[in-house]
Amino acid sequence: MIKIHIFKDFFKSLDQTIIGCLIIILSTGLMALYSADQEWFNEFNAQLVNISIGLIALVFISKTSPKIIFFYVPFLYIIGIILLLWVKFFGFEVNGSQRWIDIGFMKFQPSELYKLVMPLMLAWFYQNNERAITYKVHVTAFIFMIIPFYFILIQPDLGTALMIAFSSVAIIFTAGLSKKIIAWSFIVISLSSPFIWKNLENYQQNRILSLFDPFKDALGAGYQTIQSLIALGSGGLIGKGWLNSSQTQLNFLPEATTDFIFAVYSEEFGFIGVLAILSIYIALLLRILFIVSKMQDTFSRLASLGLLVSLFAGVLVNLGMISGLLPIVGAPLPFFSYGGTSMVVSLVSIGIIMSLYNHKSLIAN
Amino acid sequence: MSMQKNQIKFIFQRRLYILAIFILLMMFIVIVKFFYIQVIQHNYFEKKSNNNSIKVVSIPPARGLILDRNNRILAENKITHNIEIDPSKKNNIELIVEQLSPFVTITKRDIKQYHRILKNSYFSSTVPLKNDLSEQEAATFLANQYLFENIFLKTRLKRYYQHEENASHVVGYINRINKNDIKELTEKNRLSLYKGSDHIGKRGIEQFYEHLIHGVPGFEKIEVDAQGKVVRSIERQEPIHGQDLKLSIDIELQKIARNAFGDKKGALVAISPHNGEILAYISQPNFNPNLFVNGIDHKNWDLLNNNKSRPLLDRVIKGLYPPGSTLKPFVAIAGLENNLRVPPFQISDPGFFTMPNQSKTFRDWKRDGHGLVDMVKAIAVSCDTFFYGLGLELGVTKMNKTLYAYGFGRKTGVDILGERNGLLANEKWKKKKKKEKWFAGETVITAIGQGFTQVTPIQLANATAKIAIPNNRNYLSPHLLLNSNQLKQSNKVIYTPPPNKKSTMRYIKEGMEGVTQAGGTAAFLNNANYKIAAKTGTAQVFGLAGGEYIEEDLPAHLKDHALFIAYAPADKPELVVAIIVENGGNGGSTAGPIAKKIFDHHLLSNP
Repeated sequence: MIKIHIFKDFFKSLDQTIIGCLIIILSTGLMALYSADQEWFNEFNAQLVNISIGLIALVFISKTSPKIIFFYVPFLYIIGIILLLWVKFFGFEVNGSQRWIDIGFMKFQPSELYKLVMPLMLAWFYQNNERAITYKVHVTAFIFMIIPFYFILIQPDLGTALMIAFSSVAIIFTAGLSKKIIAWSFIVISLSSPFIWKNLENYQQNRILSLFDPFKDALGAGYQTIQSLIALGSGGLIGKGWLNSSQTQLNFLPEATTDFIFAVYSEEFGFIGVLAILSIYIALLLRILFIVSKMQDTFSRLASLGLLVSLFAGVLVNLGMISGLLPIVGAPLPFFSYGGTSMVVSLVSIGIIMSLYNHKSLIAN
Repeated sequence: MSMQKNQIKFIFQRRLYILAIFILLMMFIVIVKFFYIQVIQHNYFEKKSNNNSIKVVSIPPARGLILDRNNRILAENKITHNIEIDPSKKNNIELIVEQLSPFVTITKRDIKQYHRILKNSYFSSTVPLKNDLSEQEAATFLANQYLFENIFLKTRLKRYYQHEENASHVVGYINRINKNDIKELTEKNRLSLYKGSDHIGKRGIEQFYEHLIHGVPGFEKIEVDAQGKVVRSIERQEPIHGQDLKLSIDIELQKIARNAFGDKKGALVAISPHNGEILAYISQPNFNPNLFVNGIDHKNWDLLNNNKSRPLLDRVIKGLYPPGSTLKPFVAIAGLENNLRVPPFQISDPGFFTMPNQSKTFRDWKRDGHGLVDMVKAIAVSCDTFFYGLGLELGVTKMNKTLYAYGFGRKTGVDILGERNGLLANEKWKKKKKKEKWFAGETVITAIGQGFTQVTPIQLANATAKIAIPNNRNYLSPHLLLNSNQLKQSNKVIYTPPPNKKSTMRYIKEGMEGVTQAGGTAAFLNNANYKIAAKTGTAQVFGLAGGEYIEEDLPAHLKDHALFIAYAPADKPELVVAIIVENGGNGGSTAGPIAKKIFDHHLLSNP
C-alpha cells in the first residue's frame, strides 16, 4: 500500500487531463504508424523508443524546478545556434534539405529543438526586462527570433521556420505590444509579401501555387497534395478500416509515416475518426490554455504560451497541409508523426508546461 | 510598479481569450475542410483512389502471319522502336523536335505523319513521332529519356510485307484504325478486342480474315506509383495471338506471272480445278502494301489513287470485261445441253451470218469463213458464224441460264471483299436500265461474248475449272485460304453447276484442246511438253462503226482487251488459268505466252 502511495505521489506532478489526452493521441498515432510503416515495423519500434524517451523526459522535467530551466535557457539558445551552424556546414541532406546532424548514436534536427528553446528564450528575456518593457525590448526579442529563423529558413525548412516565427510573434504580441504596432506589422508584412515571394525557392513557390490548383501539376508540385486529398476523400465518413488504406499500402502517399501520417489515419478511420482525434487535440490545447491562464509570473506565462502556440502551430500547419488548406511544408503532426526529435520535443514542452504549473506558487513567491 | 504588472496581466488574459477563440476557429475551419473532402467529395475521391492504385493495361495480340502454300512468309511482324508522344498532354511539337534534335532527327515527313495519325487516333495511348529508329538512335534516346516527360521509346510490332508488289492485292494491307472502323467494330460487337491495338486489316486477306488473324488482347492489372511507374503486376492474362493464315497462293508462281505481264495492265487467276484453291492472283498494275502500314502519305496516295491505270483496283474481282470469245465454250454447253448443234451437225461458214428476216448481217472474224464447221471445230477456230446461229436459236434466256450455272453474273464467293457480280443481260435488264427493247441481234452477239455481258477474271477461271474437271464434287468455289478448318469459319457459299451430259463436256474439251493445235487460234502453244486446252478471246473496247480494226493505227487505250482461258494438262487437268491483258489486242498472242509460263512453272518445275 505504501508503494502505491509513493507511486501516486510520483505522478502527482502530472496533469491528468493532459496525460489522458496524450495517451489517446499517442496510441492512435502508433496505430496509424503500424499501418503506414512499410519496412517491417522498423519505424514502429523506433517510435516506441522515441515515445518512451519523451515520456520519461516529460515526467522528470515536470518535477524539475522552473528555476533550473530558467537558468539554462540562454545556454540552450546559444548551443542551438551552434548546432544550426553545424548543420549548415556539416549536416547531411534528406530530401534536398539539410536539417540533420549525426551525433553518433542518433540523428536529430536542431531546428525542431528551437520549437522548444525559442519560446523559453523569449520568455526568459521578457522576464529579465519585466520592469520596463519598452519598444527596445520588443525589437531585441525580435532579433533573438530572427537569427535561428534565418538559419532554419535557409536549410531550407520553411515549415519549421514559420512555426518558430509564429510562436515567437505570439509571445511578443502577448508580452504587451501595443495594438498600434500589431496593426502596423500586419500592414508591413502584407506590403512586403511580393518581396518575400521573390526570395522563395522555386519549389516553395510551386508548392504555394499548387495549393490553388493541385491538379494543374498533378505529378509535380501538386502531387503530394492530390495524393493526400485522395487518401482523405476516399476514406469517407467511416473510413476503409485499419490497415486498409490503399493510398498508403500502394505507396501513393509520400512520407506516409512522417508528415502525412494523419492522411493515412483519415483514410482508414474516415471523418468520424478524424473528428474524434481532433476533439482530443482541441481538448489538449484548451487545457494547456487554461493552465497558461493560471500562470503567475511573466516567464511562466510567456514560456507556456509560446510552447502552446508552437504545438498549436504544428497541429494547424500539418492538418492544413494534409487537407490542402496550406502549401506542403515539412511539418510533422505533434505526438502523431514518426520522428524522434519532434516527438521528444513535443513531450518535453508538455513537461515544461507542467513544471511551470506545478511550481507556479514557488516562482510567484 | 505593480499597477503596470497588473495591467500587463490584464492584457495577457484578454489576449489569451483571443487566442482561445483563434484556436477554436482554426480547428473548426480544419474540421469543416475535412468534412468537405471526406463526406461531400467522397465519391469523387473514391473514384480517383481506385484509378490511382490499379491500372489495367491491354496487351495487344500479335497479328497472325500470312504464309503461302509452301510456308513462305507473305506478311510478318517486325520489331521496331518508335518515339511516341502522349497526346493527352499539350505538346509543342516544334519544341519537342528541337529538343530531340541532338539525339534523333525528326523530318518534316515524320511531323506530317504524326499530325495525320493524331487526327485519326482513337485507341493508342501514344502516337508515334518517329518510326523505325536505328539501334543507336534508340539507345541514345533511352539514355536521355529523363529529359522528356511525355515522350517514350516504344517497341512495337510493325507489319512487313517482304514480297511488296508481288502479292499486294491478295494479301492486302493493314492501316491504322479510323473512325469508320470503330463504328463497324462497334456494330459487330468486336470493339473490345481492339483495346491496345492500333491497326486493322483494310484490304485483301488482311481484311477478309481480320477475325482470325487479329487475335484476342490480354491484359495486365498493375499497381502504379506516383510517377505512373509499375510497382508490381497483380494479374496478367496473356493475349491470344492471331492465327497464322496459310494461303493457297504460290508466291513463286505469283512472281513469274507478274514478270510475264511486264508493264501491261490486266489480271490473272490460276486455280486448281480439283478443289478451287487459287495459286496465283494478279492484278496489274500494283502497289507496295508497306506504304499503307502507318498511314499512307498524301504524295504516295495521290500517286496511286489518281493514276489512270488504277493500281489500287483489284481487277481479279472488280474488273468487268466483255468476255469475247472466251464465252463460246459456255454458250456451246448451253447449246449441247439443249440438244442444239450436237455433232456431227455441221454448218458451212461463208464468213458471215444473216438474220433470218434479212434485217442484218454479222461478219465472222475470218472474212472468208471457216468452211465446214461442227461444234468442236467452232470452238477450236473460234467460229463466230456458228455461234451467231446457235445463239439466235437458243435465245438469251436459255443461254444465260447455263452461264449462270457456271458462275457468271454472280459472285464466286472468293475470300476477298468487294467482288462484283458481272452482268448477264436480258430483255428485262435492258428495259430497266436502258428503257429500250431487246433486239434479236443482241442475242446474236451475246453468243460470241460481245453483247452487254460482263465478266470478272475470277468468274472466267471458276467457270473454266468446271470444264476442266466436270461434275467435281470436291470443288469449292475459288478461295485463297488453304486450311479447311479456318475456311469453314468464314461461311463460304459454294456453287456447283448441275451435272451435264457426259458427251457435252467431251465435245467442249475436244474443242478447247483444238485451240492449241494446228489450225486453232493459239496453235503456237502446241510446242509444250504437255497438252493445253484453251480458249482465246478478244473484247472490243471501242465500237468500230463500220470501220476496219487495224491494231497498229489505234491508240493504246482503245486497243482490244486480250482474253485467255486455259487448263493443262488437257487430259489430266492440274491448273486452270484465266488471263486478261487490257488493250492487249489479239487474245492468243498476248495472253497465251503468259499462260504458258504459268503452266511451265507449275507443271514442270514443281515436283
